[in-house]
Amino acid sequence: MVDAGTVQAIEVTINGTKHEATVPSRQLLVHFIRDSLGLKGTHIGCDTGSCGACTVIVDGKLTKSCMLLAAQADRAEIETIEGVAHDGELTPVQQAFHEEHGLQCGYCTPGLVMAATFLLGRNPNPTEEEIRRAVRGNICRCTGYVNIVRSIERAAAAVPKEAA
Amino acid sequence: MLSEREGAAALAGGQSLINVLKHRVASLELLVDISRLEELRQIDRLPDGTLEIGACVTYDELDRSDSVRSAQPLLAHVAGHIEDQQIRCRGTIGGNCCLSDPTNNLPPLLVALDATMMIQSPGGPREVPAREFFHGYFSTAVEEGELLRSIRVPPLGPNAGVGYSTVAVGADSKAIARAAAFVRVDGAIEDARVVLACVAPAPLRHTAMEKALRGAQASPEAARAAAERIGEDLEPLGDAHGSSEYRREMARVVARRAVCEAMVEGGDRRG
Repeated sequence: MVDAGTVQAIEVTINGTKHEATVPSRQLLVHFIRDSLGLKGTHIGCDTGSCGACTVIVDGKLTKSCMLLAAQADRAEIETIEGVAHDGELTPVQQAFHEEHGLQCGYCTPGLVMAATFLLGRNPNPTEEEIRRAVRGNICRCTGYVNIVRSIERAAAAVPKEAA
Repeated sequence: MLSEREGAAALAGGQSLINVLKHRVASLELLVDISRLEELRQIDRLPDGTLEIGACVTYDELDRSDSVRSAQPLLAHVAGHIEDQQIRCRGTIGGNCCLSDPTNNLPPLLVALDATMMIQSPGGPREVPAREFFHGYFSTAVEEGELLRSIRVPPLGPNAGVGYSTVAVGADSKAIARAAAFVRVDGAIEDARVVLACVAPAPLRHTAMEKALRGAQASPEAARAAAERIGEDLEPLGDAHGSSEYRREMARVVARRAVCEAMVEGGDRRG
């Protein structure tokens, strides 16, 4: 525990890679991810927790990274958009956003992919209402959400289900 | 640490406090991150059926907890409809209460459920009933140097139900008027608690409406008639989302709906 205005040593695992860093106590996680680690896929839309563009997954919790101090993420495992796909192959969620044209300008897309990935991890067969509720924290000003919902429905259908 | 240092504050989910700091509404010397203290993250069922919920239990955890869903399904449902998934993963029941924003979801429900707030003081623990906990805008019974540890929610008991109704700006969004109700029916209405929110600085037990309900037959007509007691005594602040008059009118509507839901739920529980 240190005084405000000073720094804190943190250790975080991001997309499987461990990072040790000294961060200003006031630094937000999103700034640490973008500016210190150079992972620019996590976007900043509003900086007030309203838009969801900065959504990442912290210790299994869907999180707006502008609403968490970097110091609060000490010892956490974090997944960002850069860690979603492996070996250059799109995940079913990413593939479905591509096929259903679930984006226009693409600014909100990293956050939406994280929210959709989180949803399908919990609920492989969501209803349309469940999908709409799951992306409520992610604002898209282009699409009107119709193609985003279709994308997530398609991703759900594409994900192999455990034998019933 | 909270009691020894001036300008110190507890940080739990941070879904309000971080923005407060960003906007420089408050400036703190020391932030104590309590969100990962295991003892504040437990949900326990006491022998008498009371749920003891740690202050740092998140909305998402309330929504998904089997013990909350079985003992207090409405509490799980309300927590599961707070804003969005990201906020539900971080925001905590203790933070929702200690912020005491009049539009917050949980305070009126906890008052209707007759919950008890367990506060840790430097001198030891103390208990405050939920109905005395919320003092007003952003003000609660938690004094400087103290910490809300947990919240005890007693079982509803036989023949009782709870209801909750909101008029909001949009789905799961900021509330314009809100009510939570507890009703116990045995033939006629034996007991009622009606709590209004967003229309006063803190959750408000509307005793005149409660009095009108007691002894009445449990029916939508009785709820409607009792809600007429909500009147000029209420002076809600108006804003861009609703004038003072509109909020007062909506308070009658949500109060009636919450009481009806509580009567139906109590009826279901009677089988």
